[in-house]
Amino acid sequence: MQSGLAVKAARVAIVVALFAIWEILSRTGIVNPRLLPSASDTLSTLGELLQRASVRKDLAVTATEVVTAFALAVPVGALIGFLIAENRYFAEVAKPLLFFAFSIPKSIFLPMFILVFGVGFSQKVGFGFFSTIFIVIMSTTTAVESVKVEHLTVARSYGATPVQTAFRVYLPSMLPVLLEALRISMIFNLTGVILAEMYASRDGIGHQIATWGENFQMKQLLAGVVMIAAIAIAFNELVRWVETRCSHWRT
Amino acid sequence: MQPLANITPLKPAGAIEVRNVGQIFKTTTQDVVALEDVSLDVRPGRFVVLVGPSGCGKSTLLMMMAGLRQQTSGTITISGAPIPEPDPNRVGVVFQEASLFPWLTAEENVEFPLALRGVTKSDRRARAQDALKLVGLDGFGKRHPHELSGGMKQRVSIARGLVQDPPVLLMDEPFAALDEQTRMTMGDELLRIWAATGKTVVFVTHSLTEAVYLADEVIVMSPRPGRIVDHLQVSLPRPRTYEMLSGDAFGSLRDRIWRHIRKSA
Repeated sequence: MQSGLAVKAARVAIVVALFAIWEILSRTGIVNPRLLPSASDTLSTLGELLQRASVRKDLAVTATEVVTAFALAVPVGALIGFLIAENRYFAEVAKPLLFFAFSIPKSIFLPMFILVFGVGFSQKVGFGFFSTIFIVIMSTTTAVESVKVEHLTVARSYGATPVQTAFRVYLPSMLPVLLEALRISMIFNLTGVILAEMYASRDGIGHQIATWGENFQMKQLLAGVVMIAAIAIAFNELVRWVETRCSHWRT
Repeated sequence: MQPLANITPLKPAGAIEVRNVGQIFKTTTQDVVALEDVSLDVRPGRFVVLVGPSGCGKSTLLMMMAGLRQQTSGTITISGAPIPEPDPNRVGVVFQEASLFPWLTAEENVEFPLALRGVTKSDRRARAQDALKLVGLDGFGKRHPHELSGGMKQRVSIARGLVQDPPVLLMDEPFAALDEQTRMTMGDELLRIWAATGKTVVFVTHSLTEAVYLADEVIVMSPRPGRIVDHLQVSLPRPRTYEMLSGDAFGSLRDRIWRHIRKSA
């Protein structure tokens, strides 16, 4: 366990060092402090921003959009992915097409979303959904394929009903892959929603960050970056923690 | 569903009757005859081994006895009734390696067939304990499959096959992935369990030594289309011992099987 501890210590040291370098570069004027406010200034700005009602409202708006887009994209994508993987004909027809769709940068469709949905809530949710669903479909397909035929035969030989097979074989087999998919999907989802906010919006934290950038408010801009980064990392780590708890048998 | 036949079986529990069974696999280009006119009687409590070259349909025949696959022609009855679908009360199946659920512990794996039928948790646990004790894994119930050796995993599989106390145990190359020493030990273990429970066992293998060592009767099958080419009675005394492997009786039985298989290879 000592090596594990050493690894953790090294990680903390790297993060601390990055912040220290940031602080020094800014304080000594090696980098223009107007372009790069110091780490301590940024963090105190972050604290101050979190007190502001308007910023909190922006965060709430963004969170609602992200959660809604995610809550729509994951089940719909999972269902489509499941149907594709379970039907050999569908799989053969749809798989290359999905790869085509997945390879296209989703951002080029943003202007079309604005034309169709305007610049409100539905545009963010629509674009977040669109950014997420392909990776969900593809991951679910992989997850279904990770179910072993031997296990299905065992279930059948002991008289499992389709519902029992779904809950006792499919779900536990797929769970590790699905959780990983959930984690990666959230990265795509968050990127989609914030991009939509930055491009054209009246509210949301993405819109705020874009505005701070345009107005050359570097402290606020950097504080916003740190805030979003922290939220994204926290979600990611939470799912990763569940993942390791659910897939201890995968060794 | 043959409820009447189940209540008043025409044959005693554990008897297997295979009559003129054929199996044809339809592919897009041609029909492949996997089994042709196979007939076979297994008396209750016998240990019968199916051997034959790869692709002779011995596993297919076993899967049909398990109700996992339907024959194209002919009839199969287990304890006097046909088996149109898997019936864990009549037949337990032990598969090749990697058939345990890796996310469940050993005892949860053994409980799996009972959980499907809604047996209460405490009842399940008690019966799984008994089955694990029978296969010599007392105290290993809380381990996950990845924490068990290959031989121990197959013991868990056997316990899972026995947990509902079916009169028939079908085994599809259960020791194929094990190393030689473990395989010998597991053979002895299986014979001990068989003697203790009195099950009818049908066992598929590639190993001629294993076949003669374990069996009361060896059924030799030909390559596609699979037919029965020989049916040997193994009259070696029980319990079987390692010394018998080098005896003349053992050798001549193994040679006789080998000549059939070499002819078809």
